[in-house]
Amino acid sequence: MPNPRKPEKETITICAYCGVGCGFKAETIGNEIVRMTPWKEGKANHGHSCIKGRFAYDYWCHPDRIKTPMIRDSIDEPWQEVSWDEAFTHAASELKRIQGKYGRSSVGGVSSSRCTNEEIFLTTKLVRAVFGNNNIDNCARICHSPTQFGLSATVGAGAASQHFDSILQADVIMVVGANPTEGHPVFGSMMKRRIRQGAKLIVIDPRRTETVDSPHCRADVHLALRPGTNVAILNSIAHVIVRENRHDEEFIKSRCEWQEFEHWAELVGSEEYSPDNIGPIAGVDPEDIRRAARMYSSGPNSTIYYGLGVTEHSQGSTGVMCLGNLGLACGMFGREGVGVNPLRGQGNVQGGSCLGSWPHVFSGYRFVTDDATRESFEADWGVELDSEPGLRLPNMFDAALTGHFKGMYIMGEDPVQSDPNQNHIIAAFREMECVIVHDLFLNETSKYAHVFLPGSSSLEKDGTFTGAERRIGRVRQVVEPLAGYQDWEVTVKLMNAMGYDVEYAHAGEVLEELARLTPAYSGASFELLDRVGSAQWPVNTAAPEGTEVLHTEQFPRANGLGTFMLTGFVPTRERVSEQFPLLLTTGRILTQYNVGTQTRRTANSQWHPEDVLEMTFDDMQMRGLSNGDSVTITSRFGSTQLKVVESVRVNPGVIYTTFHHAETKANVVTSDLSDWATNCPEYKVTAVEVAKVISPDAQHAEASVKRSAPRERDVEEVR
Amino acid sequence: MTTDDNRPAVSGDVIDMKHLIVMANQIGDFFASYPPKRAREGLRNHLRINWDPRMRNALLAHIDSGGDGLDVNVIDAVQLLRKAADKSGYYGPPQA
Repeated sequence: MPNPRKPEKETITICAYCGVGCGFKAETIGNEIVRMTPWKEGKANHGHSCIKGRFAYDYWCHPDRIKTPMIRDSIDEPWQEVSWDEAFTHAASELKRIQGKYGRSSVGGVSSSRCTNEEIFLTTKLVRAVFGNNNIDNCARICHSPTQFGLSATVGAGAASQHFDSILQADVIMVVGANPTEGHPVFGSMMKRRIRQGAKLIVIDPRRTETVDSPHCRADVHLALRPGTNVAILNSIAHVIVRENRHDEEFIKSRCEWQEFEHWAELVGSEEYSPDNIGPIAGVDPEDIRRAARMYSSGPNSTIYYGLGVTEHSQGSTGVMCLGNLGLACGMFGREGVGVNPLRGQGNVQGGSCLGSWPHVFSGYRFVTDDATRESFEADWGVELDSEPGLRLPNMFDAALTGHFKGMYIMGEDPVQSDPNQNHIIAAFREMECVIVHDLFLNETSKYAHVFLPGSSSLEKDGTFTGAERRIGRVRQVVEPLAGYQDWEVTVKLMNAMGYDVEYAHAGEVLEELARLTPAYSGASFELLDRVGSAQWPVNTAAPEGTEVLHTEQFPRANGLGTFMLTGFVPTRERVSEQFPLLLTTGRILTQYNVGTQTRRTANSQWHPEDVLEMTFDDMQMRGLSNGDSVTITSRFGSTQLKVVESVRVNPGVIYTTFHHAETKANVVTSDLSDWATNCPEYKVTAVEVAKVISPDAQHAEASVKRSAPRERDVEEVR
Repeated sequence: MTTDDNRPAVSGDVIDMKHLIVMANQIGDFFASYPPKRAREGLRNHLRINWDPRMRNALLAHIDSGGDGLDVNVIDAVQLLRKAADKSGYYGPPQA
């Protein structure tokens, strides 16, 4: 046999892992994928790839894949295999029965950022047009919902202002709460290239990540802040800029609301945010805050890239606003080499955000309360639509516990493993009467499900993804769907079974529908993407092949001006105490992806057989711990077990783990606090205590619920 | 479609009141940086465009029975919801 085996066919598609959105050539022999090679023409990756996209694709044909629909009357019964038709009929009649008994608002749905734009859009249609309510959310709720909120408020568009290549013209790169060398490796490599050419690097992160110090990558300033103090630090940077007159007055006067700038300058310029004040609160040297402020404001081209270390906080949206404010104050918008850019975790988080998979907005971030927008959808879909916002994902679980929410369609998500305060989520699922899980594998959530609809991976379907740089690209079917249907077809058939008559010949027709209902996507079509490869939104008559840099002339707000939000620092209610003196924060590593559903089912698991807890030598010694000991991590909400290792990457008082393995149960300990504006969970700060596991029985102890200690009793604040 | 034909068939608050109070106070904390009138309007508008009407109504009912646990500035702002039906949505600094 020749080595490598000679493929018969190649198909250009997009990697489904992180939000970089690398183009790949999938090479096949019959229905077998023999190789994934990075596509040289891919505009996000230019022929580069990482260890996940290049090698971790075998999950698609893993023996765990479910290929037959299944139903059961109660979660205590075994699954029963049925035909697709039986599954659709059963699911539809259950949802209708529930709505008849508990009201129209008693069911809802959640779409996944691992699915295509077309599938996400159809899920919103299923909920809005067929269920008749707005209980629709997306997994972006628990990662980047604050991005949409914070950037919409300041610059008018909840998306990256730049294309990735723009970083090659940056002089100063500020990375906040992100670790692109591990989490977004292909972009990380481009960043390193620019750093080798002399760009300066500022990193704001509690941990000395690989982005802070690794080959080709060394931070000129690293603010190793205490988790939960982003807003304090960013305001303090702004303080220095305003006090030292380092802002760009000409830009602010011509492009922004000057009066709001003055209010903001008064707030951040106050003594409260002086580096000498904030330094001790955040645990950083005040001089480093000054250095960061001077470096960022000097540019000439300064750019910001940020991740979940900014958003997953009780002040997540405020943190994003701080970044928007900083960019506006220093005139860092509207050209190459500058901007504010979220690094998205999943392949289609940007699409999930754009396409109205939120309970309060239609696609293009237009409010359900807005009559004109709603009427355009009503005319197209032929039904009357609910004019009031629906429940967000965490609200759905809360409402399940009060008996108001009874049925849910879950496309490609595993809330039991991914969402915070796991015991609470499980209790909520136990209250539901019809949970429909549409996924590749049985997962933690399917234990509480009544209908299982087998899903298709991105290698088995047609559609589009929108990458973190707003790049819309084609996902092309490489192999036949193992269970017979592409995911969007399943959603359509569920709509049909519920009595809504609609038909699409192929996924391109869904794109046509979403394009005619969404101004920023109005020029998008399979034909265009086949011709030009990919296009960044807005793609419309003014920009028929897309737009690389946003905000060049004006900001997409009613008056065309950028604006400043007042971002007072409010410490999180999650506080360390005598009982829980350590702060737990989380992150991920290069070879694995999120909760590991895909990567753990590939040979990539060789690099990361288990998650471990990182802790400083002093913190370990204080607790009598040695490297490799099994420890229990306990918070107010529950406890879990991990092995501990000594680390110089975290500061004293801070511990860290990855969450790639289900056994880690990191979310048994995470809190029920969330971002004030969006309910994005506060994953990045949990007060905990760590103790050595003493009895072998404890190894198998179930995660316990600890809810007795009221918050008021906690003695010390984060600040 | 109005909210009238969407009356919950189940009685009681849609979400545990303790949780709603924490959420409302957190929103109040954010808008506290603004002058009082703008802060009230900001909070009102935020609830109007982001919260399910059942959550808003539960909070109003809670205020009618004393508003226990809610910050004073939050109570004042939530009251404004009683005549905010025409607010269709906006992101940005609080305005009327």
